[in-house]
Amino acid sequence: MCTLIAELWHYRELLWTLVIRELRVRYKNSVLGFFWSLVNPLVTVLVMTIVFKYVMGMRIANYSAYVLTAYLPWTFFQFALLDSSQTILVYMQVIKKIYFPRALLPLATTLANFIHFVLAMGVLLLYLYLYVGTPLQWGLLLVPLVMLAELLMVMGLSLIVACWNAFYEDVKYLVSVGLQLLFFLSPIIYFSEQVHHMSLLPDAYREPIFWAYHLLNPMATYAMAYRKLILPPITVVQQNPGLSAPPVQFPDMPLPYWLLGVNLLMAVSVSLLGLLYFRRKEWDFVERP
Amino acid sequence: MAAVSEQTPSVKEARTPLAIRAEKLTKEFRLTHQPYSSLKGLLLSFLPRRVEHIVALNAISFTVHKGETVAIIGQNGSGKSTLLGLIARVYRPTSGRLEVYGRVAPLLELGAGFHPDLTGLENIYFNGVILGLTRKQISERLEAIIRFAELENYIDAPVRTYSSGMLMRLGFAVAAHVDADILLVDEVLAVGDAHFQQKCYRKIREFQQEGRTILFVSHDMDAVRQIAPRALWLDKGILRADGDSDTVVTQYLASTG
Repeated sequence: MCTLIAELWHYRELLWTLVIRELRVRYKNSVLGFFWSLVNPLVTVLVMTIVFKYVMGMRIANYSAYVLTAYLPWTFFQFALLDSSQTILVYMQVIKKIYFPRALLPLATTLANFIHFVLAMGVLLLYLYLYVGTPLQWGLLLVPLVMLAELLMVMGLSLIVACWNAFYEDVKYLVSVGLQLLFFLSPIIYFSEQVHHMSLLPDAYREPIFWAYHLLNPMATYAMAYRKLILPPITVVQQNPGLSAPPVQFPDMPLPYWLLGVNLLMAVSVSLLGLLYFRRKEWDFVERP
Repeated sequence: MAAVSEQTPSVKEARTPLAIRAEKLTKEFRLTHQPYSSLKGLLLSFLPRRVEHIVALNAISFTVHKGETVAIIGQNGSGKSTLLGLIARVYRPTSGRLEVYGRVAPLLELGAGFHPDLTGLENIYFNGVILGLTRKQISERLEAIIRFAELENYIDAPVRTYSSGMLMRLGFAVAAHVDADILLVDEVLAVGDAHFQQKCYRKIREFQQEGRTILFVSHDMDAVRQIAPRALWLDKGILRADGDSDTVVTQYLASTG
């Protein structure tokens, strides 16, 4: 394990060069460059806001801010995994010629996506605090920690996905279907409070199921954490526009810090497991049948 | 049969340190007749299937000392590229031992490490770093690399606009400037024009004078005789001969008729 990390450190120049290359290639032939990675989530969130506010009857002031705060971390999660699934095949010609730790490829793809995510989050925070006038809160100090946890988690998953896709190219399709499901299974367009009050859950098991869901779906934890740490607490009001029943109110739930701790531990383990698993398989890439 | 000699034939390297030592080096590839690069194939793979084991290299033993230039000759499929791949640590040996001392720089095949949308300059950095230089070291050698590749006017153009000769020149120029201890040259020089080939051979001579180790795969027997004092002849994964290149080339040519 230590030798593995020492070797990755030894090759840090290559990792950095791969990251730069990834960033350069992405916007090589576009005029607006980085701004495209902002335009995409902005347009998506605009459409979501219209749909959820005016069609589905979500009554929340600043709904778009709450969605965007969870949606940007989601796009990082999504694109890092999708891009990583391809890297081994993209670099196959180089892999066949010379040795370097193959793990650098998915790691570089993940880091390049992470840089985008950090920049996008920076723009979002500037917008929230300078333009919208969101009050500053102490929780903000924990945001880098959550980003680190997400980065480690995504790194581990990317390594595994990249490895599988090198042998079975079906994996990238499975991943993209899985991500689509995960999007709807994570509190991005809706709120954790709504999950907590789901009528589907039996009252006796409501709490354990709710927390198990956050542990099993790290994206649910991240969506919840970013929102609670960046934006002020709100009461979610849901009204079905066709019905005359009074709107349902869900009081704000505070972010449990133990969840962040457990998630960080999980993220560290997932990234180490990913590295070890990748290590065991990396010699087979060139010899795949 | 196999004229495998532990001693290397030429005189000068008698006391120089080892660069490469292979001992009963064997590499097998599995060849499945029903490749499963899809899940359907994976499921089908539980059915009995013909898996052939191809022995690309069969218990090869040889040593190369620092500063030697060794040509590797043999027909297609004789294991030459597999041997270079093992030395470059692309493959792991199936059995046997392989010791490599010093930094290895394979001359990357036509555009292997190049991204078409990036400029020549950006690709120099990528290639150089992958071959083990730091970005700072590359910046210092940048001018020399570009001058050697004769690409002064095109270095800021995306390499997709390059001809195959230009790509080869860029690839050779980078590999030639990374200060590798062991240079692997795999039949790439054939693409360049006569002028650039001459330049490459001159560079190879320079490396020889600097005491670097060169492994050289070629089908051009004249080039082999000129450049390499020693040759290894691989035949279907077996080391048929190892010795002074004139003799080995003559044997090889006699056998192929």
